[in-house]
Amino acid sequence: MTTTQDLIPLKGVKQSPVEELFTSGHRTCQGCESALVMKLMIKAAGPRTIVLGSTGCMYVANTTYYSTPWVVPWMHTQLGSSGSAALGTAAGLKALMSKGKLKDEPINVIAFCGDGGGADMGLSAISATLTHNEYNLLILMYDNESYANTDIQVSGSSPWGANSTFSPPGTLHRIMNRRWKKNTAGMLAVGHPQARYIATGCASYATDMMNKVRKALSIGGPTFMHTLDPCPKGWDYDPMYSHELGMLAVQTGIWVQYEVEDGKVTLNGPSKMLAKGKKRLPVEEYLKRQGRFAHFTKEDIAYFQSQIDEMWEKWWIPGVIPPGIADG
Amino acid sequence: MTTYAVEVVYRGIFQKSLSRNICRSIVLASRLEGKIGTAFGRYGDSPERNGIPAKYFAVVADDAVELEEVLAQYEPTQVDVSIVVDDTLCKGVESWAWYGLQPINALTKPNGTVIVTSYQDPEQLKEDIHAKDQPYDLAIVKGSKSFSGLWVYKDDHTDVRVLGALAKVCPDMVGLDSYKEAIIQQWEDQRKVTSAERAHGRVHVTPVEPGEGNPEEPFTFDMPGWHDMEEALVIPAVKPGGGFRGGEGGFEPVRSAVFKKFSTRTMRPVVNFETCTKCTLCWLQCPDSCFDVTPETLYDANMEACCGCGVCEDVCPVPDCITMVNEEAFTDNASQYEHWKRDRDGYMNWLDEKIALSKTEVREHGFHHVGQYEEQSQTAEVGNDD
Repeated sequence: MTTTQDLIPLKGVKQSPVEELFTSGHRTCQGCESALVMKLMIKAAGPRTIVLGSTGCMYVANTTYYSTPWVVPWMHTQLGSSGSAALGTAAGLKALMSKGKLKDEPINVIAFCGDGGGADMGLSAISATLTHNEYNLLILMYDNESYANTDIQVSGSSPWGANSTFSPPGTLHRIMNRRWKKNTAGMLAVGHPQARYIATGCASYATDMMNKVRKALSIGGPTFMHTLDPCPKGWDYDPMYSHELGMLAVQTGIWVQYEVEDGKVTLNGPSKMLAKGKKRLPVEEYLKRQGRFAHFTKEDIAYFQSQIDEMWEKWWIPGVIPPGIADG
Repeated sequence: MTTYAVEVVYRGIFQKSLSRNICRSIVLASRLEGKIGTAFGRYGDSPERNGIPAKYFAVVADDAVELEEVLAQYEPTQVDVSIVVDDTLCKGVESWAWYGLQPINALTKPNGTVIVTSYQDPEQLKEDIHAKDQPYDLAIVKGSKSFSGLWVYKDDHTDVRVLGALAKVCPDMVGLDSYKEAIIQQWEDQRKVTSAERAHGRVHVTPVEPGEGNPEEPFTFDMPGWHDMEEALVIPAVKPGGGFRGGEGGFEPVRSAVFKKFSTRTMRPVVNFETCTKCTLCWLQCPDSCFDVTPETLYDANMEACCGCGVCEDVCPVPDCITMVNEEAFTDNASQYEHWKRDRDGYMNWLDEKIALSKTEVREHGFHHVGQYEEQSQTAEVGNDD
């Protein structure tokens, strides 16, 4: 019977494994935070891992023209099929091991997808996979808030009002993306109570993110992670500030870091402090540094702030579950 | 029967709007002279990534049949003028895996022109630009790299200044008056016309003799044919790395053999190994895994792999321990750690020099805050920087 690998939590950055299993030579943007997510993800998971990637930046930019930065086995899968690929691989490994065709050992299976591939196209396959408790796997959604690979079209994960190829601000209508960002991790946690681990993270908080990957891979069963990745191309900022913008997203309360383990929600790091009453930074600090929000007026910023305030003040669990039971 | 082709070599995303403006204006202006033209980005560069070298083309012909004839090929294989809107691209460009390092003047016709926007003088640029066995002209439009992003354009008149220079070096394609009219049609801004006129008068042209320039052979690869590839498009994985420089301690990842990425860089980090506290943040937060870990757990940025994003400088908690310096101040990709080990005093002097240089320059890597470009263009316009 295969079990999971014993992946010990890291007690700080200095305990990060020194090996690089996602190395240089990928054709991502300068300061690409999603590439950093890949690097930290596989650093945490270790060498006995199979990675499956659905179409998106982390497929196209990483493995161009018969080349790869991956040290571990990696396979491309179609845009909406990260869930099916993960499930099929985990099931295949299990079958081969039980027939004695492969050595019986725990092998991590990670499938990654972007927000377009995960929150939009692949949602049904991810949902189905999260109900198959007998297979150990992790689906990681790296969320750069647009279809970044094809030059920034709106996805279900794009923030309200952001400039994109599909929502350029005009003179008659300034705000063209009028949809609010989808709450993917919360939706999956609430909708799949049997899945043992659902978490959000951000590569700016590297240890927290790596420990979440380790927990997701060692707890058993299908698990899901959602990371917020600042994207210098689509968000339009100096690539140097990828790390800072990730921190600002958390400190302004726009991005909430949490984990749902066996149905129990824990807010992590700065998000936990914000829930305890630490003052949130104004969202303007985050918005004004990105070209995709350069057209925002004071009213737009105030509206954005009001939505974030409501999430923290009115939601049942900020960032996870909206306001509770209706009156009466 | 004459056709002209122009290429603009630019930094992906940062200069996408700039190069589009240049090529579109060439076509619009050519139509004012009764010619016909088309402007297009190189298909192979899409999807574009921040900083990775990309190309835009403009082709001008006397009539439609002639234009069609030229466009029957995928992209021009020879150009009359190569326009380079960031002078660090003069070191050569690597756009994709297996592509190798292409000299910046690779497509320039014999007796054609390379226009560079730069503050460097021709002799300095010739140290970077690979030698060619045909003569060509090197024209310099004085100016800094004009970087913006996908959504907000920094209108510092670099687009029209390049057009002014183009009218000077290639007047038979399109004349200055047509460019001026095309500028007014697009922007209705007389100041942009003035900027174009000034650049036309001030562009500095130097002839480059055959064999003159950087003598290095740029690296190349042989792309495997289909019969060399493994079944089912299996790509061999990168081998796990090992100790630093093959020794016991530290760690050095094995790096992709066919895509290095350093030609994406416009600035590079210089590291002070003596004030480093070994906090690991630069190494851990580098999206390109470019830091080699030395036996004493110092972090040596590998200059073949570093693409110059600057995240390491931003996360480093020690002042001036990691500093981003303009790439034009360097001539090789040698290891800084080895330099420091070999000659500590010499390295520290070298480092001080580079850090001092970085203090005199403004970082040009796109959007920092709302209103920044308007503030900058107040001082930049009409060629005040000449």
